Amino acid sequence: MGKAAPRAAEQVIALAQIATCPGQLRHNLERHMEMVARASAAGARLVVFPELSLSGYLLAHGVLEHALALDDTRLNPLLQASREIALLVGLPLREPHGGISNAAVLMEGGEVRGVHRKLYLPTYGMFDEGRYFIPGPRLAPIECSLGRLGVLICEDAWHLSSAVMLAQDGVDALLVVAGGPTELDGGDEPAASRRWHWIMGATAVTTVRPVFFANRCGWEEGILFGGCSWAVDPRGRSLAEPAPAHEETLVLAPFSPGAAARARTLAPIPYAERFDLWRAALERVGA
Amino acid sequence: MRELPPVNTGLLAEMLERFLAEELRASGLSGYVVGLSGGVDSAVSAALGVAAVGRERVHALALPGPASSPESLRDARAVADAFDLRLETVEIAPAAETLAVALGARADRVRFGNLLARLRMVALFDRARTVPALVLGTSNKSEILLGYSTLFGDSAASVQPLGDVWKTHIFELARALGVPDGVVGKPPTADLWPGQTDAGELGFDYPTVDPVLYWHHDGGMGREELVAAGFPPALVDGALSAYRRNRFKWRPTVVARVSASCMNVDRILPRNPER
Repeated sequence: MGKAAPRAAEQVIALAQIATCPGQLRHNLERHMEMVARASAAGARLVVFPELSLSGYLLAHGVLEHALALDDTRLNPLLQASREIALLVGLPLREPHGGISNAAVLMEGGEVRGVHRKLYLPTYGMFDEGRYFIPGPRLAPIECSLGRLGVLICEDAWHLSSAVMLAQDGVDALLVVAGGPTELDGGDEPAASRRWHWIMGATAVTTVRPVFFANRCGWEEGILFGGCSWAVDPRGRSLAEPAPAHEETLVLAPFSPGAAARARTLAPIPYAERFDLWRAALERVGA
Repeated sequence: MRELPPVNTGLLAEMLERFLAEELRASGLSGYVVGLSGGVDSAVSAALGVAAVGRERVHALALPGPASSPESLRDARAVADAFDLRLETVEIAPAAETLAVALGARADRVRFGNLLARLRMVALFDRARTVPALVLGTSNKSEILLGYSTLFGDSAASVQPLGDVWKTHIFELARALGVPDGVVGKPPTADLWPGQTDAGELGFDYPTVDPVLYWHHDGGMGREELVAAGFPPALVDGALSAYRRNRFKWRPTVVARVSASCMNVDRILPRNPER
């Protein structure tokens, strides 16, 4: 895999691969503030945290206690930090009319710029998210000073249609945040990390958008998470070396909307999408 | 014949070390207590513990029973020396004899063996209380699946770093971690009575049975498929029988749910305190 050459006047997106602990909010917040400081010092414009980065992933019924509303004062340190650098933070979001969403919140300029609520809640195998969260009702880009960003949370990205829809909505980049558990299968990296890299690469190349993937690492409740956060450009080239599987790491990746637009001019794949086939298929399966 | 998949010992060891470091941090306690039997599982657990949290935070105990072989204590010392651990020896024999007589269990080697395993648990948890520490478990996936353990005895621990690791892979992990050759190479034994070995009791050794367990438990193959794949029928029947018979040991206690707030059913919460 070749590495894209750095260009002048590029923005930098930081991927904060951290290890969180379920319910230990103070500990998790410290991990955030440390990474924000490092990303800021490195000149990043946006720092992307993994899924449920503030609460930890395996909270289970602990979400009832630890869910946060957007006006919760415990978010103030992050909102304050967002005056210097934009943040995408994961948390269990207490909805005003009941229910808790698995949410990624984009903060910039001291305020919330947008929220993506996880659409696909895996409830199979080791996953039980459908038990604790309500599914997001819609998929839409989030606008901030970096551009028009498509945010997907973990399982959302395993439904390839999600990225296709965001591409049709004209996003400049895809931000995929994950709390991806993994097993070890004898390979040199965790099995799930290998799968993630296939999906991220295919998503970038077929939507012709750069993909920024922030996964968590570490252990929770005996469950291992696979790290290997990574950024890949629309032609499948690494924008940064993948983070190791187990180490808390700040990945710094260049982000150039102009380069992505040029790639789409040369490979206008998304513009050729056959909606007539979608429509026919949807009718055929009765969707 | 189908085989067990390979293991990447470097990655596995690194991940398990981080698991032990994180569990200790999240618990807020000071260290780990581990019983060194002189066998390979406890040697690997101790080695991982030392790499994870440092030798000064791993408290090793040798807990010889009345019938333990002298080689076991010698090997436990060799493991402690290899990883620079101070080894505290606690004699459980007097207590075991007294209790066994009171219970009338002395003449039954299985009952007496279980009693020894549970007294070791008592000693480890007592030390854990005084440190305060977590008890570092030494059970492996193969023996858990076969039920080859004493309930609330050697299976009792705060954390089980090797509980999802096949015994065949533990031998490889042991070599990679620098466990003394004599410990890796000797036949696994619970050492509860003279001459006891795991293979003698189970009827097969771990490298033989692990692929059967793997392809059944992980691969979803039933008896006929396993036999068709080339595993000897007697081996398959022995392994599957133990697997079914001892499944209750995976979840040692069942709570009768009579409310809508039963722990671990209606209320599943993280184990560690919030800070």
